[in-house]
Amino acid sequence: MIEEGHLLAVFNSAHRVMKAENILKAMNLPILIIPAPSKLQTDCGMAIRFSEDILDRIMEVLASEKLLPEFVTRYEGGQFVRVWTNSSHP
Amino acid sequence: MKCIDCRNMACPAPVISVKKALEEQGELQVLLDNGAPRENVARFARNRGFLVSEEQDETEGWALTITSDKNAEKPRVSNRLSNDRVLLITSNRLGEGPEELGSLLMKTFIHTLLETSDQPASILFLNSGIYLTTEGSEALEALEKLNDMGVEILSCGLCLDFFERKDKLRVGNTTNMLTTAENLLRATQVITL
Repeated sequence: MIEEGHLLAVFNSAHRVMKAENILKAMNLPILIIPAPSKLQTDCGMAIRFSEDILDRIMEVLASEKLLPEFVTRYEGGQFVRVWTNSSHP
Repeated sequence: MKCIDCRNMACPAPVISVKKALEEQGELQVLLDNGAPRENVARFARNRGFLVSEEQDETEGWALTITSDKNAEKPRVSNRLSNDRVLLITSNRLGEGPEELGSLLMKTFIHTLLETSDQPASILFLNSGIYLTTEGSEALEALEKLNDMGVEILSCGLCLDFFERKDKLRVGNTTNMLTTAENLLRATQVITL
Protein backbone atom coordinates (compact mmCIF):
# COMPACT_ATOMS: atom_id res chain seq x y z
CA MET A 1 0.00 0.00 0.00
CA ILE A 2 2.85 2.36 0.75
CA GLU A 3 5.69 2.42 -1.70
CA GLU A 4 9.00 4.19 -1.91
CA GLY A 5 8.49 7.93 -2.32
CA HIS A 6 4.86 7.96 -1.19
CA LEU A 7 3.84 10.79 1.10
CA LEU A 8 1.37 10.49 3.94
CA ALA A 9 -0.53 13.37 5.44
CA VAL A 10 -1.39 12.21 8.94
CA PHE A 11 -4.37 13.77 10.72
CA ASN A 12 -5.39 13.98 14.34
CA SER A 13 -9.13 13.70 13.79
CA ALA A 14 -11.47 11.44 11.81
CA HIS A 15 -13.68 14.42 10.90
CA ARG A 16 -10.73 16.39 9.54
CA VAL A 17 -9.34 13.52 7.48
CA MET A 18 -12.76 12.74 5.98
CA LYS A 19 -13.39 16.38 5.16
CA ALA A 20 -9.92 16.71 3.63
CA GLU A 21 -10.50 13.57 1.55
CA ASN A 22 -13.77 14.93 0.16
CA ILE A 23 -12.25 18.27 -0.77
CA LEU A 24 -9.15 16.79 -2.42
CA LYS A 25 -11.21 14.24 -4.34
CA ALA A 26 -13.60 16.91 -5.55
CA MET A 27 -10.54 18.55 -7.12
CA ASN A 28 -9.64 15.27 -8.83
CA LEU A 29 -6.35 15.00 -6.98
CA PRO A 30 -5.13 11.38 -6.98
CA ILE A 31 -5.18 10.57 -3.27
CA LEU A 32 -6.10 7.55 -1.21
CA ILE A 33 -7.22 7.47 2.39
CA ILE A 34 -5.51 4.60 4.21
CA PRO A 35 -5.01 3.37 7.75
CA ALA A 36 -1.87 5.02 9.09
CA PRO A 37 0.92 2.48 9.63
CA SER A 38 1.28 1.47 13.26
CA LYS A 39 4.80 2.96 13.28
CA LEU A 40 3.23 6.39 13.01
CA GLN A 41 1.41 7.06 16.20
CA THR A 42 -1.74 8.99 15.42
CA ASP A 43 -4.92 9.95 17.19
CA CYS A 44 -7.39 8.78 14.55
CA GLY A 45 -5.21 6.27 12.74
CA MET A 46 -5.92 7.60 9.25
CA ALA A 47 -3.72 9.18 6.63
CA ILE A 48 -4.04 10.51 3.10
CA ARG A 49 -1.54 8.98 0.69
CA PHE A 50 -0.30 10.85 -2.38
CA SER A 51 2.74 11.28 -4.57
CA GLU A 52 5.45 13.92 -4.41
CA ASP A 53 4.34 15.75 -7.56
CA ILE A 54 1.14 16.97 -5.92
CA LEU A 55 2.56 17.76 -2.48
CA ASP A 56 2.54 21.54 -2.99
CA ARG A 57 -0.97 21.53 -4.41
CA ILE A 58 -2.30 19.42 -1.56
CA MET A 59 -0.72 21.60 1.10
CA GLU A 60 -2.03 24.72 -0.59
CA VAL A 61 -5.60 23.35 -0.69
CA LEU A 62 -5.50 22.04 2.89
CA ALA A 63 -4.10 25.35 4.15
CA SER A 64 -6.82 27.36 2.42
CA GLU A 65 -9.48 25.03 3.90
CA LYS A 66 -7.87 25.20 7.36
CA LEU A 67 -7.47 21.45 7.28
CA LEU A 68 -3.72 21.08 7.54
CA PRO A 69 -2.65 17.67 8.84
CA GLU A 70 -0.72 16.95 12.01
CA PHE A 71 2.35 16.09 9.95
CA VAL A 72 3.48 14.87 6.54
CA THR A 73 5.90 12.02 6.18
CA ARG A 74 7.71 10.47 3.22
CA TYR A 75 8.42 6.75 2.94
CA GLU A 76 12.04 6.34 1.84
CA GLY A 77 14.49 3.52 2.25
CA GLY A 78 12.04 1.55 4.38
CA GLN A 79 11.51 4.37 6.86
CA PHE A 80 9.16 7.26 7.40
CA VAL A 81 10.88 10.62 7.30
CA ARG A 82 8.91 13.58 8.53
CA VAL A 83 8.97 16.35 5.92
CA TRP A 84 6.52 18.81 7.46
CA THR A 85 5.06 19.37 10.92
CA ASN A 86 2.08 21.50 11.82
CA SER A 87 3.49 24.13 14.17
CA SER A 88 0.09 24.77 15.73
CA HIS A 89 0.10 21.19 17.05
CA PRO A 90 2.05 20.45 20.20
CA MET B 1 -19.27 -38.45 -24.14
CA LYS B 2 -22.51 -36.98 -22.86
CA CYS B 3 -23.18 -33.38 -23.91
CA ILE B 4 -25.48 -31.05 -22.00
CA ASP B 5 -26.68 -27.67 -23.23
CA CYS B 6 -26.60 -25.05 -20.47
CA ARG B 7 -26.87 -22.01 -22.72
CA ASN B 8 -29.52 -19.43 -21.82
CA MET B 9 -29.73 -20.76 -18.29
CA ALA B 10 -29.83 -18.33 -15.37
CA CYS B 11 -27.15 -18.55 -12.68
CA PRO B 12 -26.62 -20.92 -10.83
CA ALA B 13 -28.51 -23.46 -13.01
CA PRO B 14 -25.50 -24.31 -15.24
CA VAL B 15 -23.33 -25.29 -12.26
CA ILE B 16 -26.13 -27.32 -10.69
CA SER B 17 -26.77 -29.16 -13.99
CA VAL B 18 -23.06 -29.92 -14.38
CA LYS B 19 -22.81 -31.05 -10.75
CA LYS B 20 -25.69 -33.52 -11.26
CA ALA B 21 -24.28 -34.80 -14.55
CA LEU B 22 -20.82 -35.34 -13.04
CA GLU B 23 -22.33 -37.38 -10.23
CA GLU B 24 -23.45 -39.87 -12.90
CA GLN B 25 -20.43 -39.87 -15.20
CA GLY B 26 -16.78 -38.99 -15.08
CA GLU B 27 -16.65 -36.93 -18.24
CA LEU B 28 -18.89 -34.45 -19.89
CA GLN B 29 -19.18 -31.84 -22.58
CA VAL B 30 -21.08 -28.67 -21.66
CA LEU B 31 -22.31 -25.87 -23.91
CA LEU B 32 -22.32 -22.54 -22.11
CA ASP B 33 -22.74 -18.83 -22.57
CA ASN B 34 -19.58 -16.82 -22.18
CA GLY B 35 -18.91 -14.84 -19.00
CA ALA B 36 -20.04 -15.91 -15.56
CA PRO B 37 -21.63 -19.27 -16.59
CA ARG B 38 -18.43 -20.37 -18.33
CA GLU B 39 -16.16 -19.15 -15.51
CA ASN B 40 -18.32 -20.66 -12.77
CA VAL B 41 -18.61 -24.09 -14.38
CA ALA B 42 -14.89 -24.25 -15.18
CA ARG B 43 -13.93 -23.25 -11.64
CA PHE B 44 -16.45 -25.67 -10.14
CA ALA B 45 -15.05 -28.61 -12.14
CA ARG B 46 -11.39 -27.70 -11.54
CA ASN B 47 -12.02 -27.35 -7.81
CA ARG B 48 -13.29 -30.91 -7.85
CA GLY B 49 -10.15 -32.19 -9.51
CA PHE B 50 -11.43 -32.44 -13.10
CA LEU B 51 -9.50 -31.38 -16.18
CA VAL B 52 -11.28 -28.68 -18.16
CA SER B 53 -10.61 -27.68 -21.75
CA GLU B 54 -12.49 -24.76 -23.21
CA GLU B 55 -13.18 -23.91 -26.81
CA GLN B 56 -15.45 -21.46 -28.54
CA ASP B 57 -17.98 -23.20 -30.77
CA GLU B 58 -19.55 -22.08 -34.05
CA THR B 59 -22.61 -20.60 -32.39
CA GLU B 60 -20.44 -18.23 -30.35
CA GLY B 61 -21.14 -20.14 -27.20
CA TRP B 62 -18.46 -22.10 -25.39
CA ALA B 63 -17.94 -25.83 -25.21
CA LEU B 64 -16.21 -27.11 -22.09
CA THR B 65 -14.89 -30.63 -22.01
CA ILE B 66 -14.65 -31.93 -18.46
CA THR B 67 -12.68 -35.10 -17.86
CA SER B 68 -11.36 -36.80 -14.76
CA ASP B 69 -7.71 -36.12 -14.01
CA LYS B 70 -6.09 -39.41 -13.09
CA ASN B 71 -3.01 -37.64 -11.82
CA ALA B 72 -4.94 -35.21 -9.70
CA GLU B 73 -4.60 -35.25 -5.97
CA LYS B 74 -7.71 -35.11 -3.89
CA PRO B 75 -10.17 -32.47 -5.10
CA ARG B 76 -9.40 -29.10 -3.61
CA VAL B 77 -12.85 -28.71 -2.11
CA SER B 78 -12.52 -31.76 0.09
CA ASN B 79 -8.92 -31.04 0.89
CA ARG B 80 -9.21 -27.64 2.42
CA LEU B 81 -6.86 -26.57 5.11
CA SER B 82 -8.23 -26.77 8.62
CA ASN B 83 -7.67 -23.06 9.10
CA ASP B 84 -9.86 -22.07 6.13
CA ARG B 85 -11.63 -18.95 7.11
CA VAL B 86 -14.16 -17.13 4.97
CA LEU B 87 -14.94 -13.47 5.20
CA LEU B 88 -18.46 -12.61 4.04
CA ILE B 89 -18.94 -8.97 3.13
CA THR B 90 -22.56 -8.07 2.46
CA SER B 91 -22.32 -4.29 2.26
CA ASN B 92 -19.96 -1.64 0.99
CA ARG B 93 -20.09 -0.07 4.45
CA LEU B 94 -19.09 -1.39 7.83
CA GLY B 95 -21.63 -1.13 10.61
CA GLU B 96 -24.63 1.05 11.29
CA GLY B 97 -24.33 4.81 11.43
CA PRO B 98 -23.37 7.59 9.04
CA GLU B 99 -22.77 6.34 5.49
CA GLU B 100 -19.53 8.23 5.18
CA LEU B 101 -18.08 6.69 8.31
CA GLY B 102 -19.29 3.20 7.35
CA SER B 103 -17.61 3.54 3.98
CA LEU B 104 -14.35 4.74 5.53
CA LEU B 105 -14.39 1.91 8.06
CA MET B 106 -14.86 -0.72 5.35
CA LYS B 107 -12.02 0.65 3.20
CA THR B 108 -9.79 0.80 6.25
CA PHE B 109 -10.70 -2.71 7.29
CA ILE B 110 -9.79 -4.13 3.87
CA HIS B 111 -6.51 -2.22 3.76
CA THR B 112 -5.69 -3.43 7.24
CA LEU B 113 -6.12 -7.07 6.18
CA LEU B 114 -2.85 -6.64 4.31
CA GLU B 115 -1.07 -5.99 7.57
CA THR B 116 -2.45 -9.01 9.40
CA SER B 117 -0.60 -12.30 9.54
CA ASP B 118 -3.76 -14.38 9.48
CA GLN B 119 -5.60 -13.75 6.25
CA PRO B 120 -8.84 -15.46 5.20
CA ALA B 121 -8.84 -18.18 2.53
CA SER B 122 -11.63 -16.37 0.67
CA ILE B 123 -13.55 -13.15 0.77
CA LEU B 124 -17.10 -13.32 -0.59
CA PHE B 125 -18.77 -10.10 -1.68
CA LEU B 126 -22.56 -10.03 -1.77
CA ASN B 127 -25.24 -7.39 -2.18
CA SER B 128 -23.77 -3.86 -2.17
CA GLY B 129 -20.46 -5.42 -1.08
CA ILE B 130 -19.75 -5.86 -4.80
CA TYR B 131 -19.16 -2.10 -5.03
CA LEU B 132 -15.84 -2.87 -3.32
CA THR B 133 -14.62 -5.18 -6.10
CA THR B 134 -15.81 -3.12 -9.03
CA GLU B 135 -14.68 -0.03 -10.90
CA GLY B 136 -14.30 3.07 -8.78
CA SER B 137 -13.73 1.21 -5.51
CA GLU B 138 -10.98 2.57 -3.31
CA ALA B 139 -10.42 -0.89 -1.89
CA LEU B 140 -9.25 -2.26 -5.27
CA GLU B 141 -5.55 -1.77 -4.65
CA ALA B 142 -5.68 -3.68 -1.36
CA LEU B 143 -7.93 -6.38 -2.80
CA GLU B 144 -5.58 -6.91 -5.76
CA LYS B 145 -2.69 -7.37 -3.35
CA LEU B 146 -4.71 -9.84 -1.26
CA ASN B 147 -5.62 -11.70 -4.45
CA ASP B 148 -1.92 -11.87 -5.38
CA MET B 149 -1.20 -13.24 -1.91
CA GLY B 150 -3.57 -16.14 -2.56
CA VAL B 151 -6.77 -14.88 -0.94
CA GLU B 152 -9.68 -15.88 -3.18
CA ILE B 153 -11.82 -12.85 -4.03
CA LEU B 154 -15.32 -13.79 -5.18
CA SER B 155 -18.19 -11.49 -6.14
CA CYS B 156 -21.81 -12.60 -6.40
CA GLY B 157 -22.84 -12.70 -10.07
CA LEU B 158 -26.49 -12.07 -9.29
CA CYS B 159 -25.52 -8.96 -7.33
CA LEU B 160 -23.23 -7.69 -10.11
CA ASP B 161 -26.14 -8.15 -12.49
CA PHE B 162 -28.64 -6.44 -10.18
CA PHE B 163 -26.43 -3.38 -9.76
CA GLU B 164 -25.55 -3.46 -13.50
CA ARG B 165 -21.83 -3.83 -12.75
CA LYS B 166 -21.09 -7.15 -14.45
CA ASP B 167 -18.65 -5.52 -16.86
CA LYS B 168 -17.05 -3.46 -14.10
CA LEU B 169 -15.58 -6.24 -11.97
CA ARG B 170 -11.90 -5.35 -11.44
CA VAL B 171 -10.60 -7.93 -9.01
CA GLY B 172 -11.17 -11.65 -8.44
CA ASN B 173 -13.88 -13.72 -10.04
CA THR B 174 -17.63 -13.90 -10.33
CA THR B 175 -19.34 -16.60 -8.36
CA ASN B 176 -22.81 -18.05 -7.95
CA MET B 177 -24.97 -18.92 -4.98
CA LEU B 178 -24.08 -22.61 -5.05
CA THR B 179 -20.36 -21.87 -4.71
CA THR B 180 -21.11 -19.22 -2.11
CA ALA B 181 -23.21 -21.64 -0.06
CA GLU B 182 -20.60 -24.38 -0.36
CA ASN B 183 -17.83 -22.03 0.68
CA LEU B 184 -19.78 -20.93 3.75
CA LEU B 185 -20.75 -24.46 4.76
CA ARG B 186 -17.24 -25.85 4.36
CA ALA B 187 -15.44 -23.02 6.10
CA THR B 188 -14.03 -23.65 9.53
CA GLN B 189 -15.00 -20.11 10.41
CA VAL B 190 -17.19 -17.51 8.71
CA ILE B 191 -16.84 -13.88 9.66
CA THR B 192 -19.70 -11.72 8.41
CA LEU B 193 -19.37 -8.00 8.01
